[in-house]
Amino acid sequence: MNNYLKKSTLSWARLVQAFALTVTTLVISAPVQADETCQSPYMAKIVGQEDFVYVWTLGMQGVGDEQDKLVTVDVNPKSAKYGKVINSLSVGGRNEAHHSGFTDDRKYLWAGGLDTNKIFIFDVHTDPAKPKLYKVITDFVAKSGGVVGPHTTYALPGRMLITGLSNNKDHGGRTALVEYSNSGEHIVTHWNPTDSDLRGAVKTGKYADGYGYDVRVLPRRNAMISSSFTGWNNYMMDFGKMLADPEAMKHFGNTVVQWDLHARQPKKIFDVPGAPLEIRCAWDPNHNYCFTTTALTSKIWLIYEDKQGEWQAKDVADIGDPSKIPLPVDISIQSDDNMLWVNTFMDGKTRGFDISDPFNPKQVFEQKIGSQVNMVSSSWDGKRLYYTSSLLANWDKKDKDNEQYLKLFSWDGKKLTEQFSIDFVKEKLGRAHQMRFGAYSLYAAFQPNKP
Amino acid sequence: MKRIFTSIYIGLLASQIVYADSVQVKLAPGYRPLAFKIPAAGSYDLPVIDMAADGEVLTSNNQVRHLYELMGDKITLLSFIYSTCSDVNGCPLATQVFHKINRRLQKEPELAGKLRLLTLSFNPEHDTPEAMSRYAVSFTNDKVDWQFLTTQSEQKLKPILDEYQQAIQKNYDQQGNFTGTFSHILRVYLIDKDKQIRNIYSVAFLHADTLINDVKTLLSISSTQKPSIASVNNARFQKGDNKQHYAEKSYKTQSIALTERQGQQTDLLNNINTAPLGLPVVPIPEDNLVSTAKIALGRKLFFDRRLSLNNTFSCAMCHIPEQGFSSNEMATAVGIEGRSVRRNSPTIYNVAYATKLFHDARENTLEQQVWGPLLAQNEMGNPSVGYVIDKIKTLSDYQGLFAQSFNSDVNMLTLGQALASYQRSLVSANSPFDRWYFGKQTDAVSDSVKRGFAIFNGKGACSSCHIIESKHAIFTDNQTHNTGIGYRESMQILPEKRNIQVAPGVFIEVDQQAISAVSAIKVNDLGGYEITQDPQDRWKYKTPTLRNIALTAPYMHNGSLTTMTDVIQFYNQGGVDNATLDPLIKPLDLHATEKDDLLAFLLALTGSNVQELVADAYNAPIGN
Repeated sequence: MNNYLKKSTLSWARLVQAFALTVTTLVISAPVQADETCQSPYMAKIVGQEDFVYVWTLGMQGVGDEQDKLVTVDVNPKSAKYGKVINSLSVGGRNEAHHSGFTDDRKYLWAGGLDTNKIFIFDVHTDPAKPKLYKVITDFVAKSGGVVGPHTTYALPGRMLITGLSNNKDHGGRTALVEYSNSGEHIVTHWNPTDSDLRGAVKTGKYADGYGYDVRVLPRRNAMISSSFTGWNNYMMDFGKMLADPEAMKHFGNTVVQWDLHARQPKKIFDVPGAPLEIRCAWDPNHNYCFTTTALTSKIWLIYEDKQGEWQAKDVADIGDPSKIPLPVDISIQSDDNMLWVNTFMDGKTRGFDISDPFNPKQVFEQKIGSQVNMVSSSWDGKRLYYTSSLLANWDKKDKDNEQYLKLFSWDGKKLTEQFSIDFVKEKLGRAHQMRFGAYSLYAAFQPNKP
Repeated sequence: MKRIFTSIYIGLLASQIVYADSVQVKLAPGYRPLAFKIPAAGSYDLPVIDMAADGEVLTSNNQVRHLYELMGDKITLLSFIYSTCSDVNGCPLATQVFHKINRRLQKEPELAGKLRLLTLSFNPEHDTPEAMSRYAVSFTNDKVDWQFLTTQSEQKLKPILDEYQQAIQKNYDQQGNFTGTFSHILRVYLIDKDKQIRNIYSVAFLHADTLINDVKTLLSISSTQKPSIASVNNARFQKGDNKQHYAEKSYKTQSIALTERQGQQTDLLNNINTAPLGLPVVPIPEDNLVSTAKIALGRKLFFDRRLSLNNTFSCAMCHIPEQGFSSNEMATAVGIEGRSVRRNSPTIYNVAYATKLFHDARENTLEQQVWGPLLAQNEMGNPSVGYVIDKIKTLSDYQGLFAQSFNSDVNMLTLGQALASYQRSLVSANSPFDRWYFGKQTDAVSDSVKRGFAIFNGKGACSSCHIIESKHAIFTDNQTHNTGIGYRESMQILPEKRNIQVAPGVFIEVDQQAISAVSAIKVNDLGGYEITQDPQDRWKYKTPTLRNIALTAPYMHNGSLTTMTDVIQFYNQGGVDNATLDPLIKPLDLHATEKDDLLAFLLALTGSNVQELVADAYNAPIGN
């Protein structure tokens, strides 16, 4: 597999031959063929072994060049550089690097900075082993009409849907969803519903806070679901300072919104108190539901379509001991919809919940990953789980508890076994945050059995 | 053909890497009846995504045409396919959906006249005009304008594919021979009569019903911008994310849409020149006389986020107009990169009358004060005066503005003078109290307010520091005092548990140890001592004005008291005892009604022009 690393020296045709024996490429993004289980259903997919993990990494004062970077790690076990950092691309500044997402053609990776509101667009198709910085969007705030904190970058056909976390008026939580074309031009801004302008939505409970965080879609049900976190004031604030500030603690999102995906119109606002963060939707075509977890109140919530075709929200399980605020952060749904991985930042644990009955999740596994843990990314087959450590620059633990890592574990259905671990401080990289997978197979097409 | 649940297996190569040797592919939604109720045509917007691109194509009659010749007169649906494509959810899907539209249009001739379907091959080698003509034969009729196109060569095709970002790759077999098949992302484009792309569809979205609905939406006049719903009341001039009663389970949001944050410009110069009832003449430094241009420039600077190192922070990010030109959402401020600031953002209202600035009174003119936050590493983070000056010089929207106001370019002096001019204009009084006390309007306030005033002046002795004079009141002595609040912050031993609110009405007792794990070391704050170095000045802070106090929670230099009731309680108990406690601070022994009256008095100090000043601030441009 050394060929992978010599790609630039190979001719295109020879390269294709090189992969012919090992790689299957999916051409059309049919819904059941998906890669890591939180990707947009519109996207080209990897079903097999990923070759790379791109880690969107926060610059850390006192570490290396102190700036944000896209770190590429070779994760193909057949590679000589397996488990090693093979590229690091610094982008300048500490932008509060956070999440990233591919365009629907998976040629570009859009990575947002929650502080400076820059969106870094990386070319990941020309050489998947060595992403290049293709374009930087620097006027997101102005173009969007004042949206701050580009968070989720989610592929829709030919465009990107970007959730905001805040705004340029008060740095609070009221914000919007913003659409950009794949060429990097602003299309439209959809403000989250507030009491003074519900935008046609029904307030099913007591709250319509207008806050934002994550977004996922179920095109087969024409449903789009968004969640709510907090504004710049809080996500940039020292975590301890914020916890000790009663005013700050009042400014968290308590809502999940169901939208008409096609019309991009909010339909229903649900009370989901305590900062619902990541949303993961089921994959099975008959499973019309998504999960989210509340960071502060430590609950799993099911957002589901009932038999009457109405969307509902229900808290279905506790995560750890909510009275200790374990702080559930990232979640990952297994592609068979049977397991939900839930990371809790404060105790550094990953927890596996059996969600075969989505209304009754049961914790079936628990393991400490590090002194702190944030993101978890699963391969499509569920056999590999990647973990990273950083939550937010000013929320991460301090001193010796501030471990920064990428770790790969294998999962055999019963236990997690560590395969490799990279110390991001020792490697002078910074705070490891979000992971996206890359594979040569996406860009070197081969379909042998086509008539 | 009711419902096809047939699954088709596409045989995929079993690779040596671990995964299933076949993947089940369900037929795309476009083959089935639409599984959801589509929003009514015209009830939603289809914003412009991009311009559609032109390009040279060949018709199935082998005529050269430009794509632009085939757009503009009608709405166009453009699909990229290749004729030998056999992936059921690929090109056949696109053609099948067009075919369904074709059949529907035959029944709706009026609509048919307004729509053109274009099917363009990306395999010019095989898909010659003749081949496209053969491909078209079973689909075309004289009622529907459906054209089948190809290109002369791959060179002619490539710019079109690039423009439409239609990625394709030829597939090769193990010997490196082209298999005649392509990998591609299925995309269909909806193009309006102005040749603009209005929607893009891929497998999960492509459905005849959806496409027809979108075409009708483009044709509908009502599909344009709906009128924005402006608040009928003036709630939009209050804080937009009110958290009152958040401690209770019954809390309800009262959020205001940011899009309603709009207001009219006001004559700020007039506001300076004619001080409102209750305030003395606005002091203007001789070397910085006010002008409309200076105030406008200062206002522009005040709301400009580019005035910070990383373009995220303006003055207004901490002095938020609808939050009393202070910050209601946190006890002590945060600066760039979220760096902790030790103190609460003070209000800018009536800062014109302050002879000392900052909580520790370390600065003495507004013109000089502005450089404090600009250069503070934990506020706006600029590395130097020169850096700020040079940056403003590069911003095109500032060209000529300083010269217009000062007959001089931007420099350390003029920048301070401009910002000071705007801040000086935020004069606010003529409150109910002013109208009663200075205006002799007996019914301007309630009896409770009048009783509260008596306590303020008498038993409470509040006016010893929050001074009221015979003709006006600025409610501050511009001096520093030790009330014990700073002493408590520095000297307190943290409790083992802290009660933290995690949701409306939901509190959790959390171990301080857990909080400490995620806390940076807190920087101490010794108040006036840090400036004078005199131990007698430990924990002394400047007396704030009480005008507009109802708008500027949380209170005290460290924002440690949430409500005015808490503040009254704090003083009623005599502050916090310490060696240098101000002798004026002592237990007041106020009973409940007296405290209520005092509160009523404080609530009567809100100026009559707050709404006007906030509206003016909303009108200011925000530099991003």
